[in-house]
Amino acid sequence: MDLKLNDDQNMMKKVAADFLKAEAPSHVITDWYQKKIAHLPEIYKKTAGVGWLGMTLPDEFGGGGSSATDCGVVFEELGRGPLPGPFFSCGVLAAQILLDGGSAAQQKAWLPKICDGSAIVIPALSDDPIQFGPKSVATRATKSASGFTLSGTKRYVQDGDAASHFICAARTDSGGVILALVDRQAPGVAVKAVSGFMIGAAEVSFTNVAVGADALIGALDEGWPVVLAALTKALPILCAYQVGACQEIFEMTNEYTRTRVVFGQPIGRFQRVQDHCVDISIHLDGARWITYETLWKLDSGIAATAGAHQSKAVASEAYYQSCHFAHMVFAGAGTDYKHPLMAHSVLAHALYQYLGTPLFHKRAMIDAMYPRKTA
Amino acid sequence: MDFSLQPDSPEISAFRQEVRAWLAENMKGSEHLRWSGNWSTRENAEEYKFRRALAGKLGAKRWLFPTYPVKYGGAGMSLDHQFVLETEIDKYGLSLGSVFYTLSRLVAPALMKFGTEEQKAEFLPPMMGGELAVWQVLTEPQGGSDVANCQTKAIRDGDDYIVNGQKVLVGHHLPPDFLWTFVCTNPAGKRHENLGWLYIPATLPGITIQHMHLMMGIKNAIFFDNVRVPAKYLVGGENNGWKVANSYLELEHGGGGSVAEHPLFARLIAHCQRTNFDGESLMEDQDVRDVLAEMLIDLDVQRLMGLRNFWHRYVKQPHSYGGPQFLFLQRMVRLRNAERVQKICGYDALNPDDSVHEVADFEYTVRSGPGWLHGGGTLDTDRLIIARRLGLGRPSQEDAPTTV
Ligand SMILES: Cc1cc2nc3c(=O)[nH]c(=O)nc-3n(C[C@H](O)[C@H](O)[C@H](O)COP(=O)(O)OP(=O)(O)OC[C@H]3O[C@@H](n4cnc5c(N)ncnc54)[C@H](O)[C@@H]3O)c2cc1C
Repeated sequence: MDLKLNDDQNMMKKVAADFLKAEAPSHVITDWYQKKIAHLPEIYKKTAGVGWLGMTLPDEFGGGGSSATDCGVVFEELGRGPLPGPFFSCGVLAAQILLDGGSAAQQKAWLPKICDGSAIVIPALSDDPIQFGPKSVATRATKSASGFTLSGTKRYVQDGDAASHFICAARTDSGGVILALVDRQAPGVAVKAVSGFMIGAAEVSFTNVAVGADALIGALDEGWPVVLAALTKALPILCAYQVGACQEIFEMTNEYTRTRVVFGQPIGRFQRVQDHCVDISIHLDGARWITYETLWKLDSGIAATAGAHQSKAVASEAYYQSCHFAHMVFAGAGTDYKHPLMAHSVLAHALYQYLGTPLFHKRAMIDAMYPRKTA
Repeated sequence: MDFSLQPDSPEISAFRQEVRAWLAENMKGSEHLRWSGNWSTRENAEEYKFRRALAGKLGAKRWLFPTYPVKYGGAGMSLDHQFVLETEIDKYGLSLGSVFYTLSRLVAPALMKFGTEEQKAEFLPPMMGGELAVWQVLTEPQGGSDVANCQTKAIRDGDDYIVNGQKVLVGHHLPPDFLWTFVCTNPAGKRHENLGWLYIPATLPGITIQHMHLMMGIKNAIFFDNVRVPAKYLVGGENNGWKVANSYLELEHGGGGSVAEHPLFARLIAHCQRTNFDGESLMEDQDVRDVLAEMLIDLDVQRLMGLRNFWHRYVKQPHSYGGPQFLFLQRMVRLRNAERVQKICGYDALNPDDSVHEVADFEYTVRSGPGWLHGGGTLDTDRLIIARRLGLGRPSQEDAPTTV
């Protein structure tokens, strides 16, 4: 057993931390979140330069060939920001979907572009505001002479407005799900940013969008298993991002208990305030160890489907709850959009929903471990 | 015990008809408006204008503060009359206490109890007439929990007080008429014996108001730079501010109770009934039903605690820990409901819907969880007060101040 990071990972962690300090210090990020800026093209390009897009992809596609844990270490640092942008949705999840389900030609055409940041491919999977899973795919794919015609509206696509291309999940007449690569500029595609107590989501609608048969990722009607396989490898990296966010919240909250003096003493002396910090610590460490164990499983060839679901459930809940407990400590000041906690608060609410709620993933976890008789 | 409201007496029944007819008439033209909360996070100018005008009209009828004496702008009516007014206006989604965004509902009682005859005659009629927006100005940047550690100084100079200092987290997006301001009247004095309340006209020179953008909409920082406030605006006497604060804050701190039903639950049910997933209404989904069940229990407990406090207030037997207990419960229920609404509505719970009243809007509900954890104290200070009132670990229990 060895639960510490190795030297390389410590190095990557430091590079990422330095990158954030230089390119996106806390007050700048806070400002982006207040203005709902969810994608910074220049920063995104720079991260491609450092090799953080498609990190786990093989070298031949321009990837870094890194382990899942390495990638998690970097994403943990990005989450501390929390640095906004389609790093995960495109650089990890879309990349993985293409690697797992794409043809050789698709891999060759798209993966290098994902790695160098010239294409931003965003998965547009669920149509439903609440649910995830194959049943949440409602966009229709009707057979056409040369392929399919897509019609439907994905009401909330995380990072939708950053996309140059979408991986659209759609239901065919036979009831199966296909995945189709769609150019954002294709006639019939419309993207509308959604405002509200969230960040990064956009409504993406497809109105009679024609896609050729060569746009299909994976076999006909076999799209969802590709998504599932990719999620197993990708979700833990999103979780690492959320772990980083919790770590940041934990540290800023602890620091505040030392410096904020009320009733003549640092508020950290009040047991109630201590309790809030202890609660954050439990959420943080729970999410951390579940996430890193799953990353280790992925790197060690151990089945990780249940672990990936578990990680997403625990990390999203941890992020959400850590924000609440931090709000209890920061009180009035923490509800000001100029306060760094607000960026986390807004993001945590969106990530709670993204790619399935904690409830969805808890159920998927237990179903993966103990399949239902009536599955 | 009897939880039912008594049937109206003939007199009250006639009054109810009068109020209904009046409201029907005066709410005309508001059909398309969707009210925001106690203060707006929507900042809809038309809605505000309508509400403010309505407050003026209600005030002119003396119906905003119906039980207050006629000479101060009230109607000298009974509690039953107030019930009628509260319940009838509630049908329009408004409450008497916040027809428009003013905290007069809190300030007027304090003036009644602690104001001099001259102050009451001057300050109360326009307030009860619904003509004024009054802000409650207490919190300072160095810590809102320790209210007594007030650093905004009001130093007597002839017939005036000279006020210097800073307040934060107060008011809303539109300018106020008066600032109900907590000040330190004697910097050298003993804690709790050095404080005062000033009723400050907001237009005096030296006052600067700066917006703060919060989760719950716009609040403000206020800077007082050598503001000259006539001494007659000091309420409750010099260095007596702590006593005033105590009784009046109990009202803010839940001691006033509440009889209103929360509109959120009905709206959520309606949403579930008309929203389908996988060919079935959300009402058929066992997960959704479980969440709704928990929410209903929380809301019912909250409703009954509000009712209990309301009753205690009006029979003038303050419940010792009822106020802070209710406040604490409300905060926790809001926080739990925020997540519940998100569980049921998903991303839709994060997306504001301006076609409904703000207090029943899901996105507002979600923000209200963490965003309203702190108005008028925090979870922690609520518990501190409950503990004192219960006498936990102490030989004696602290009494609840009599609310006004
Ligand atoms: C939406 C909103 C509306 C508001 N409206 C108004 C308004 O109209 N007028 C106004 O004057 N103010 C208003 N406030 C301010 C509010 O009253 C304060 O935020 C609140 O009193 C807490 O003060 P603080 O934020 O400075 O927190 P602090 O006092 O700095 O508290 C920091 C932390 O220390 C804890 N703490 C402090 N003392 C103790 C203790 N003795 N024991 C245990 N824990 C303790 C707190 O619980 C908290 O966790 C509003 C705030 C919000 C969020």
